[in-house]
Amino acid sequence: MRSYLRHPFWQAVGLMVIAYILIVFIIPALPGSAVVPKSVVLQYMATVLVGVLIWVSDDEARWTTFKEPLHDVLVQPRLKVIRTAVLAAVTLMVGCITYGQVKASVAAPPNLRSIHPAPPSQITFRGKTITLVGLDNPLRRSGDMAAHLAVGHRIYYENCVPCHGDHLDGQGHYASGLNPLPANFQDNGTIAQLTESFVFWRVAKGGPGLPREGTPWNSAMPAWEDFLTEDEIWSVVLFLYEQTGWKPRTWEVSAGGSK
Amino acid sequence: MALVATQDTSAGKQVYTKWCAGCHGDNGAGDGPAARHMIPPPRDFTGAVYQIRSTANGQLPTDADLLRSIDEGLPGTAMPGWKNRLSDRQRRDVLAYIKTFSTFFADTTQRPQVLEFGKEPGGGTGAEALRVGRQFYDSIGCRKCHGDQGRGDGPSAPTLKDDAGHPIFAANLHENWRFNGGPTTTDIYHRLRTGLDGTPMPSFSDLIDQKFLTETELWRLAEYVRSLSPGEPPVVRDVIHAPLVTRVLPRAPDDSAWNAVDTYWFPLVGQVIHKNRWFAPAVTGVWVKAVHTRDSIALRVTWDDRSASPDSAWLGHLGRVLATVQSDDSTREQPALWPDQMVVEFPVTIPTGMERPYFLMGSSSGPVYQWRWTSASRSAAVAGLARGIERFDSLPRGGVGARAVYDHGQWRVVFTRALASLDTASQLPFRSGRAIPVAFFALDGSNGEHGTRMAVSTWYFLALDEPVPARVFISPVLAMLLTLGLGMLVVWRAQQKTSYRRQQ
Repeated sequence: MRSYLRHPFWQAVGLMVIAYILIVFIIPALPGSAVVPKSVVLQYMATVLVGVLIWVSDDEARWTTFKEPLHDVLVQPRLKVIRTAVLAAVTLMVGCITYGQVKASVAAPPNLRSIHPAPPSQITFRGKTITLVGLDNPLRRSGDMAAHLAVGHRIYYENCVPCHGDHLDGQGHYASGLNPLPANFQDNGTIAQLTESFVFWRVAKGGPGLPREGTPWNSAMPAWEDFLTEDEIWSVVLFLYEQTGWKPRTWEVSAGGSK
Repeated sequence: MALVATQDTSAGKQVYTKWCAGCHGDNGAGDGPAARHMIPPPRDFTGAVYQIRSTANGQLPTDADLLRSIDEGLPGTAMPGWKNRLSDRQRRDVLAYIKTFSTFFADTTQRPQVLEFGKEPGGGTGAEALRVGRQFYDSIGCRKCHGDQGRGDGPSAPTLKDDAGHPIFAANLHENWRFNGGPTTTDIYHRLRTGLDGTPMPSFSDLIDQKFLTETELWRLAEYVRSLSPGEPPVVRDVIHAPLVTRVLPRAPDDSAWNAVDTYWFPLVGQVIHKNRWFAPAVTGVWVKAVHTRDSIALRVTWDDRSASPDSAWLGHLGRVLATVQSDDSTREQPALWPDQMVVEFPVTIPTGMERPYFLMGSSSGPVYQWRWTSASRSAAVAGLARGIERFDSLPRGGVGARAVYDHGQWRVVFTRALASLDTASQLPFRSGRAIPVAFFALDGSNGEHGTRMAVSTWYFLALDEPVPARVFISPVLAMLLTLGLGMLVVWRAQQKTSYRRQQ
């Protein structure tokens, strides 16, 4: 056993095994970590392998000792069984990998979805024309902010929670059954990037109101104009920004046109 | 009210108001704006009755118990885990604040006593251990509510209420990933010992005290319950692969030919998109298998449903559900004997691009092709076109067959049809080697589901697989020959060199 531990070849093998255990089992167990994807495991392992090879080849004597077991497997008459087994295993593995590569299998078509498609310049909300360009949340300029937020809070919990979740992170108890997943408002890539008029449009018109590049046939977002009034939607938009702490993107004052 | 002086509850109140009050209410009474869209409803903190405890039946939970529910959430309910959403400090603060809603926690002289649970004895997964577990499953009355096969369909299941009179389902023991108190054998054992206070689930600790059974035997029961669920929770795979079978199509739900076919799980959620929305679906998902022959396809949909509706035994439960869950229209509907339904949906033609009809029953301009089965006429299915959730037109010469079995809380329905379509304009022709969009909708009549009240899925895919053609094997065989040749060359060279060196 001792001699194995001292032998550079078995040390190298040991290092590889430890690295693998670390990456595949220990890292996901750390708080706040997730399972390491296979491709990343492969990358890490390749890096470790290169490191190990540099280490064993750094010293001439160590390199020679390192090669011994490999060489022995190739030439030693007493290792004939292992030699044959290694050859057969490598051959079979190559066969399986190639088969996996060439075998035709039907996969789900890629879902090429534009997450934030260009909004229309104006929409019709329950018969009323609303111009989105240059539009800000009207509730920010009138009435009691706390009252607006209270309405937004109520609307959110009555309607939005099952999908967008208590934490507004798109992980409500219905989220796992939906594809695409509900928007995560805590993420810096959703409402933080958008004007309030864009969010109003998405809430009012929902999945069915998306342009074609937004894959309207997949989205489970309801068209909320069927359920909520204009002010209720503006309140819930207000609530989304208040609760997450994001600031809406604003319109350029001079241009009055594009964002 | 006497509060623990060392705990700062004003910070907790802030966290609570921001993140918890939407469901649990400003005063902790479980009556926030979201409450009436949830079964089970959010916890009412004013009563200090908690399901998930490490303490005896009727006792207060420990802080660790409450923190666990906050951290991990309650699977199978709307309560998420907050471990990665709030800081340690915030969760501890909110825990202290939640306790102020009830005077029961004010008396700090009485500390809740944690039960002695012991360790799981060995040998738990063997057949003998499971036999012992099953024996006690029967003898201590689990089957009365959870049913003979554990799907929550026991004779008492329709009568169950929580302490507030809300409807409550006996847990489906085949879905441990939805157990409120956690999925492991240890979690199950703890629930057996403590009971789920506020629900009809009792504690069985007294049976140990009365020497009716031993702790080991109760562990065996927990192990048996754990064995009913899969080792890991099901993972959604997008594409149902339907292999080609050379024998006859398995039309019966329990045909042994189905055993060899891979099964696919798809979660279903409430239809909350169209009026009237439905926030309390009873069907949590479907297990799907499919096979095809040269000319026909068979698709088996299996789902757990506590009742073969219509079943008048469930009318009381149905009334409680309708009374608990808020509806979009103000009028409360009267309970009626609705059937169970399953809808399998496809586009009318296999799409070439990524465009598809609207997943939720199509639209007026883009219809979908559906197979509809109801428990009212078990051995038949209707094919038709849906143009939105309210409109379904059945097709003459639909050509869809159905065979159904209801077995201990589970429906298994096989749909069959010819691959070719009699009418390609309205009925999808099935083709192999293509990803065919498919979606599922389930309605449990005894849970008040009919019309737009249903559980829905999004689009997934069905693929009719062809047998692997011989030419596919050419490149792997070539690659193997090449590898073997190279390998032998390396060995031969190494041996040559060595013998050469030796000769020198």
